[in-house]
Amino acid sequence: MPSYVYRGQQINISDADTEYKGYFEAAAEHRLVVKKCLDCGLLRGEPGPGCPWCTSLHWEWNQVSGKGTIYSYQIVAHTVVPSFRDWAPFAIVLVELDEQSGQPDQYDGLRITANLVDESMEPEKEENVAIGKRVEVAFLDGEDGFTLPQFRLIDEPPKGTVWLHQL
Amino acid sequence: MNTSLRGKYCIAGVGETEFSRGSNRTTRAMGAEAIRNAMNDAGLKPEDVDGMLSYHGGDSTPSTSIMYDLGLRPNFYMDCSGGGSSTEALVGLAMGAIEAGMADTVAIFRSMNGYSQMRIGGTGVRAASPITGIDLLKRPYGMISAVQQFSFTFTRHMMEYGVKNEDLAHIKVAHSNHASNNPKALMKQRVTVEDVMNSRWIIRPVAHLLDCCLETDNATCVIVTSAERARDLKQKPVYILGVQGRGTKPGGDFHYQHGPISRVAGYYVGPRVFELAGVTHDDVDVTGCYDAFTYTALLQFEDYGWCEKGEGKDYVTSGIINLGGRRPNNTSGGHLCEAYTHGMNMVIENVRQLRGTVDDYCPQALEGVHTYDYSEGHCRQVRDAEVSMNMGWGTPAVGSSLIMRR
Repeated sequence: MPSYVYRGQQINISDADTEYKGYFEAAAEHRLVVKKCLDCGLLRGEPGPGCPWCTSLHWEWNQVSGKGTIYSYQIVAHTVVPSFRDWAPFAIVLVELDEQSGQPDQYDGLRITANLVDESMEPEKEENVAIGKRVEVAFLDGEDGFTLPQFRLIDEPPKGTVWLHQL
Repeated sequence: MNTSLRGKYCIAGVGETEFSRGSNRTTRAMGAEAIRNAMNDAGLKPEDVDGMLSYHGGDSTPSTSIMYDLGLRPNFYMDCSGGGSSTEALVGLAMGAIEAGMADTVAIFRSMNGYSQMRIGGTGVRAASPITGIDLLKRPYGMISAVQQFSFTFTRHMMEYGVKNEDLAHIKVAHSNHASNNPKALMKQRVTVEDVMNSRWIIRPVAHLLDCCLETDNATCVIVTSAERARDLKQKPVYILGVQGRGTKPGGDFHYQHGPISRVAGYYVGPRVFELAGVTHDDVDVTGCYDAFTYTALLQFEDYGWCEKGEGKDYVTSGIINLGGRRPNNTSGGHLCEAYTHGMNMVIENVRQLRGTVDDYCPQALEGVHTYDYSEGHCRQVRDAEVSMNMGWGTPAVGSSLIMRR
């Protein structure tokens, strides 16, 4: 079982992990992937074993562009994880990928969780975090072979309403 | 929908331990005490309790140990995995077990050293464990606590409906006023909107420290039996009109993949529980709306239909939810101020409300004599409370509800 350490946390990805192992294997090759149903053809944001729309258990990993829009976010001002304390405040974003947005239902989309980071892979400044801003995947390579997909802001016009909290 | 059980079952006894942050004892010791207190409340002997149900998150003691401690010999027991919204669901399962002839009287308990051992907020044991499976897409990003897991839902709600943190603070203020009249409450001090706004941020933009509940060491218990059996017991029975649990919204754990993201399970649970109970919103005198965080209460008020979607901010700032208001919420102080118990304390409180014997500071409270003076250090009995409703929260996708009548 591959085992890694990231920010002081032990990460165990079982050889028998049918959900997330392929996601991190692709990340190590700097590819962002989601699962694609081999029967109805729809992609799904959570890499589960079955298709939420047609129940098919046949799937393959499918590379996506890695571009998307911030759909929701949280700024972690206080973290309970000791190894994240030097990072706070930091953003965790829910990114809606460009692929299949609003399909098959207007409220559906491929949504991926990650941190919003800057060019040096440090937390993006809080005032730059907003729903509607455009982002692209960036891969954070650890020393022991573990790669974590993250997102960065990109210079593209926002999609939909831009919203950020006022303090 | 099978409405034939309406009013056929009741809560006959309730009990709890002290609420503390440092119990210095096991969940077994606390569980035994809470069940014993509920048995004594009901006037039940060990041979009268032949069913046990509990819920836990790997942080409790199973029924099979505690049955020894109290000399019980259940004909039926189950220890279920679950947190918030389990109480109401297990009330329904207890009714089902009795209806199926598996038992006659069922004690439902939850025991947790939620502060000194397994903290739901993630500090300690949970943050130190290796990351595997479903956590692989969360914890490497620093996402572990409950307030984080639910917050994508509410950040988006704030954008869509314009709720402000000041609006949320009113929920804490109301519950703290209630707790100031509850000798059992962990946090009895009344707070202001400014106090909440000035407390340190936990997760922006959804929660300051005082928007979060109080991790607590405690055990709680309610006992379900038939109305017929309860007739010769010690307490006035509190009848179960309708119960739902644990109802879900599409997507389960991955609810944020579907939408609308700011909709929670109560949207699906509410119409069913009202139909089952045969009452309307207007019939309800007191509510127990799960306040893990101020925003969980607000989301549920909206999706259970106490107001239109997006108008929860008006509902919680209008005075309706305060003692003395039209429909007080969490009169014990709830999770924000009394104790975090995974929901059972709010059911216990409503049972006592409907009995008319809330344990406030009125000298003859336990005989049902109250002053209805809701100022600090006095009464928290709702005048003439006839119908209550609990709204349990598990996640944005999971909820339960229980409507009871005196």
